[in-house]
Amino acid sequence: MHRLKLTSCLIFFLFICLPHPLVQAVEPPDGYTHDEAMRLGEQMYRNGILPSGNPMQALVMGDIPFDGRMFTCDDCHQRSGLGTEEGSVITWPTNGKMLLLPRKRTGAFRQPTSDAEKQNARRTLPPYFQVEDERPPYDERSLANALRVGKDSGGRSLDPIMPKYRLSNSSMAILTYYLMHLSVDFAPGVDDEVLHFATVIAGDVPEEKKTAMLSVLQTHIDNHNSQGRHESRRAASGPFFKSEAHQAYRKLKLHVWELTGTEETWHEQLEGYYRDQPVFALLGGISEGPWQKIHGFSEKNRIPCILPITDQPVLSDTDWYTLYFSKGVSLEGETAAKYVRAGLSMKGTIMARQIYRRGNTKAAALAEGFSTAWKSIAGQEVQQLVLGEDDELSDQALNDLLDSPEPVVLLAWLDSTDKEAFKILGRHGGRAAMVFASSTMLNNDFSAIPDALKENLLVTYPHSLPSEDQKSRFAVEQWLRARKIPAGDFDIQAKMYFLGWMLSGGIKSMRSEFYRDYFLEGFDMMIDQDYAIAVYPRLTFGPGQRYSSKGCYIVRLSSGSNPELIPVSDWVIY
Amino acid sequence: MARPIRPGTRVVCTVLFLFLLVSFARAGESDYYKRTLEGYEVPEVTLLTQEGKEIDLSTYLDPEKLIVLDFIFATCTTICPVLSISFANLQKQLGESASRVQLVSITIDPDNDTPALLKEHLQKYGARPGWDALTGKRDSIIEVMKAFDSYVSNKMDHYPLTLLRAPGQKQWVRLYGLLSASDLKKECEQLLQK
Repeated sequence: MHRLKLTSCLIFFLFICLPHPLVQAVEPPDGYTHDEAMRLGEQMYRNGILPSGNPMQALVMGDIPFDGRMFTCDDCHQRSGLGTEEGSVITWPTNGKMLLLPRKRTGAFRQPTSDAEKQNARRTLPPYFQVEDERPPYDERSLANALRVGKDSGGRSLDPIMPKYRLSNSSMAILTYYLMHLSVDFAPGVDDEVLHFATVIAGDVPEEKKTAMLSVLQTHIDNHNSQGRHESRRAASGPFFKSEAHQAYRKLKLHVWELTGTEETWHEQLEGYYRDQPVFALLGGISEGPWQKIHGFSEKNRIPCILPITDQPVLSDTDWYTLYFSKGVSLEGETAAKYVRAGLSMKGTIMARQIYRRGNTKAAALAEGFSTAWKSIAGQEVQQLVLGEDDELSDQALNDLLDSPEPVVLLAWLDSTDKEAFKILGRHGGRAAMVFASSTMLNNDFSAIPDALKENLLVTYPHSLPSEDQKSRFAVEQWLRARKIPAGDFDIQAKMYFLGWMLSGGIKSMRSEFYRDYFLEGFDMMIDQDYAIAVYPRLTFGPGQRYSSKGCYIVRLSSGSNPELIPVSDWVIY
Repeated sequence: MARPIRPGTRVVCTVLFLFLLVSFARAGESDYYKRTLEGYEVPEVTLLTQEGKEIDLSTYLDPEKLIVLDFIFATCTTICPVLSISFANLQKQLGESASRVQLVSITIDPDNDTPALLKEHLQKYGARPGWDALTGKRDSIIEVMKAFDSYVSNKMDHYPLTLLRAPGQKQWVRLYGLLSASDLKKECEQLLQK
């Protein structure tokens, strides 16, 4: 009896302490720790680079040799390993969880042969409806076979688009170990009933903007939760062929994380919020300044942050976890540079000169966007006139700036409080080949622009023109009215309306696979949007694309106190 | 004494002969791709090369060269990398004949794919002179896709397609599907011999 108890305790102890039963099948390759094997495996999977530092070598379509840097595992199977569908090609999951499960195939319907089968048929896939496994679970040997010779664990040939890799036993062991541990445990922030999200309000955000963002986002969450009041019952008793959809259902909960004090403390505040309540992803959010701290937090913890409202996103070709509406003011600077190149044909030297105020981070980001693009286009540095916070722009300073034998392009990244500066620009701006201002800097308030300047002024305008967004705008306004949300900052409300519209698709495409990378991949695969977004002509998505709006108009202003915006460029300028 | 051929055998032989004839006429078409002949008209649109140079597509496609054209986008996950690997490999395989071939990849994601990004794309695949990547205004790209019967409203729904036009010819060969290196080379060589 005592021995029986001891054995039971041992079995219980082993059950509790052992790692995930699927993952325990694979041990780290000899000579490597778990972390090393995962790092090297990730390098092979994402970058096509062997542990030796050389590129992987493979054949695709039977006889086309290629270098692993050209075509990586995660191109098709994605970071999550959950696979994709693209056109006529379906890529199966290669994450640890799915590799170690057999793949069942449903057969043609046959009539149940007994009463027991008839009763069971609703809840589980009945035996008479199943055929044999399409493939058995993979093990290390069969996975190596799939990677080297293109045969699955059932011995069937894979589509020739699946490369056949030339891998040593050691490299194969590392890649296998990585795959077996890829997307095995669900991400934090989800349990059997609730999917937790947070939205970040960073620093001093005017109350009306905060309300505009939160009211629309919370309404989307409430809508989701109210429509699903029968989902728990369906998940428990619904028919087997809908079980995946019903069992995926979770109520959504939105946590509001308000960051206060200096930016240097924000990261710690975010970590604190996260320790108290882990969330699956960040939705929306708003900041009047740079998004850098929140971006860094997302990147460090691999938490997706979907469509925050900021004019100062982090610009990166490699960071992954924050999906922005656009490159913000930097895109305006870049667009101005491209427009100058296209407009002046770049036949001679053009002197580009910028004016902005010290301490204005938005203006500095805009100027940086222009300078970087201009250097790339014209190979020239941009001369800057940085005004102190209380300095006035003088006629003399502006004349000095315009003084050049070469044509001068002047970029005045000032806000609408700089009325005097714009008056001076009106007096002397005619000497410049082009004068630019930013609608974002001016907050779409053009009252500071004197008519004398308008003839020569070009304005960057990164939104839909008032003349072209009426249908989408009307749809958003109707939606807000129907849900009794007071009209507020329309730009913010329209963006959050769009986020909610996309969110339902993102959650649906994730199914019951609660992995953060997979959630983000759902947005990557979204169809380009020009219907539900009222403030941009269109938003486009794609794997790894992290700035959805790619365009910015250049407009002229008609004269008068309420000027009309007259576009002089296409939405996208090359 | 020769045995007379039975009528049934004659039918079988005829069917077999016709099958072989059709098979040869399909010029090596495999299970993985479908080959058709099409009468596409190249639209007169202005596009940009990876160097940012404006070109008129109809005159840019050199009538004296074999044109091999596909549709791609730089952040495509599955189909486009294989199409591009295939182009890079074809350039190597053609050897001296490469100067008689013009490879053209046209983006279907013009908002994202700037000339600079397409230049990076070509560099990634080790493209040699004779292979250009084109972008342009969204409407122009749509016009080109429609002209080549390859328009999809969602770029993620696009399919693998390679279009070939022999030197001096107007007709296009449409290859639907992904091709092996040997299949693509065979298709090209056949058209270069015309």
